[in-house]
Amino acid sequence: MRSGWGRQVGQYVLLLVFTLLINFALPRAMPGSPLAYLAGEDVGLLTPEQRTEILSRHGLHEPLWKQFALFVHNLTRGDLGHSYRQGRPVAEIIAERLPWTLLLATTALIIQTMLGVWLGARAAWSRGTRLDVWLMSTFMLFRSMPSFWIAMILLAVFGAQLGWFPMFGAFRPWAGHTGPAHILDILRHLFLPALSLILLGAAETFMTMRYAMLSVLGENYITVARAKGLAERDVLYRHAGRNALLPVATVFMLSLGFSVSGATVIETVFAYPGLGRLMYEAVLSRDYPVLQASFLTITLAVIVANLLADTLYAFLDPRVRI
Amino acid sequence: MTSLARALSGSRQGWLGLIILVSLLFGALMAPWLSPYAPSERVARPFQPPSRHHLLGTNDIGQDILSEIIWGSRASLGTGVVTALAATTVGTAVGIAAGYYGGWVDGLFMRIVDLFLVIPFLPLMILLAAYAGPSFHHLMLVMVFLMWARPARIIRSQVLTLKSWTYVESARAAGARAGYIMRYHILPGVLSLVVAQLVMTASLAILIEASLSFLGLGDPVQKSWGSILFYAHSRSAFLTGAWVWWILPPGLLITLTVMGFALTGFALDTVLNPRLRATGITYPTRKKEEKPLTPAP
Repeated sequence: MRSGWGRQVGQYVLLLVFTLLINFALPRAMPGSPLAYLAGEDVGLLTPEQRTEILSRHGLHEPLWKQFALFVHNLTRGDLGHSYRQGRPVAEIIAERLPWTLLLATTALIIQTMLGVWLGARAAWSRGTRLDVWLMSTFMLFRSMPSFWIAMILLAVFGAQLGWFPMFGAFRPWAGHTGPAHILDILRHLFLPALSLILLGAAETFMTMRYAMLSVLGENYITVARAKGLAERDVLYRHAGRNALLPVATVFMLSLGFSVSGATVIETVFAYPGLGRLMYEAVLSRDYPVLQASFLTITLAVIVANLLADTLYAFLDPRVRI
Repeated sequence: MTSLARALSGSRQGWLGLIILVSLLFGALMAPWLSPYAPSERVARPFQPPSRHHLLGTNDIGQDILSEIIWGSRASLGTGVVTALAATTVGTAVGIAAGYYGGWVDGLFMRIVDLFLVIPFLPLMILLAAYAGPSFHHLMLVMVFLMWARPARIIRSQVLTLKSWTYVESARAAGARAGYIMRYHILPGVLSLVVAQLVMTASLAILIEASLSFLGLGDPVQKSWGSILFYAHSRSAFLTGAWVWWILPPGLLITLTVMGFALTGFALDTVLNPRLRATGITYPTRKKEEKPLTPAP
């Protein structure tokens, strides 16, 4: 186990280095002056003072290795650069946006896992029946749909036509809600974006749970449990379900990272003020420093999530700990 | 390859998938004859609801949406298929080399593959595509760069089992060079798996192209289904009834294409992957006695 864990950590360190290298290399490898990419393509509008400030901040007149050292040094101080579009430090913008993405991604992840596990167990139990076939084809269909399109349809139907849910944003800033009303407002804004993520994400868990259950159901201890006269419910959830959960835990771990990046497109549709929407806005306005910082933050979130999951997994499966 | 075709013909899903794909391909090829107007021509007033002249209405600058969608199929299908071809080719080469040589070559390649599998896929693509600038060539390059890893890993594991087969060992004992063995003994053995991977990668590529185009990273000159949705979204088509004819059709077509590829892929996978058959996750096939494909010696 120790070597396995070390391997994982090595993998994440490699990922981090790779991310840093990409962020460092992209503005400098592009044709034209890196100034354009570091400032966000508004070189013409910059005052001479700002221009010298950028040059010295990134050490652009220094040799490459010194530039890289400076780049890493700036990052470790929490300095993610400056968005000349928005006229403020990138770190400040990221800090505003990150909590919303985390809220959306974790909510969706938890619900989609529970839903997928429950339906997957049901489907496996009654395999070959109409329920099973129906569930399978529905989830297959959802998996073939573009996530942003599901989101747009939900928005059009439940937001615009029926008016049940708000159309954009994470809360209503001018309503002046406080306390429980504010929380309710946030939840109402969260509903449709989370639902879009869940419809997609649950498919993966469902398929895995169903597959795992099918292989567990053939085991001898299930036959024994049945022979003992246990109620079907108990056999299903206590005996089969528990053992089928391990592969689901793996999917859960893989989805941790995926949810954060999957939220990118969904946030864009709902104008949800998370990191994904931020990336979209940055693409449209060619705000490269913000793009880079968002990518770095998402990668860091994925690494932290994976490390957490690896540690948790060792508790779940005693065999990993040996 | 003939056995591959036979395998597909035994599966109802496989047939359905193939029919979907062939009809979409037909639509894309016949675009000049099928579409009522030129896709970039302004033929009517903007934001028209569907009428006899414009079956799906017109968009924000008065182009016929139906023609846009028919022509868009070229961009969407083309990007998906070309990307999948390139990514699977790279993946196959890496997979065969890593699996055959083993040792440090394998270690190095698989490390890189693992790296590409954990990386936050879409954000990195957005970053790269934003720097590269909007064009189909850039989009495809970025997608290939990030999509070769999964086929590589799957093909490598198949090569590992093939490598120990007697015909490979005897070829090696007879003094065949590594290049020769990989070309004439390993490659035919993984070819059916490669085709299955190709189909799966294509379905994924079409979804990703749509997402990237939806985020405004597509080619502004040649619209794909994804970029049609980008314009529909940025002009707030979801606020009015326009979503029914502007948002619904391109999305349905993307779903249909992905389903077409996925159904074909599943059918191939079921036949090619004996483990899936053993555990009861079979998709019903007409001919029960169909044997799993074995590599032709």
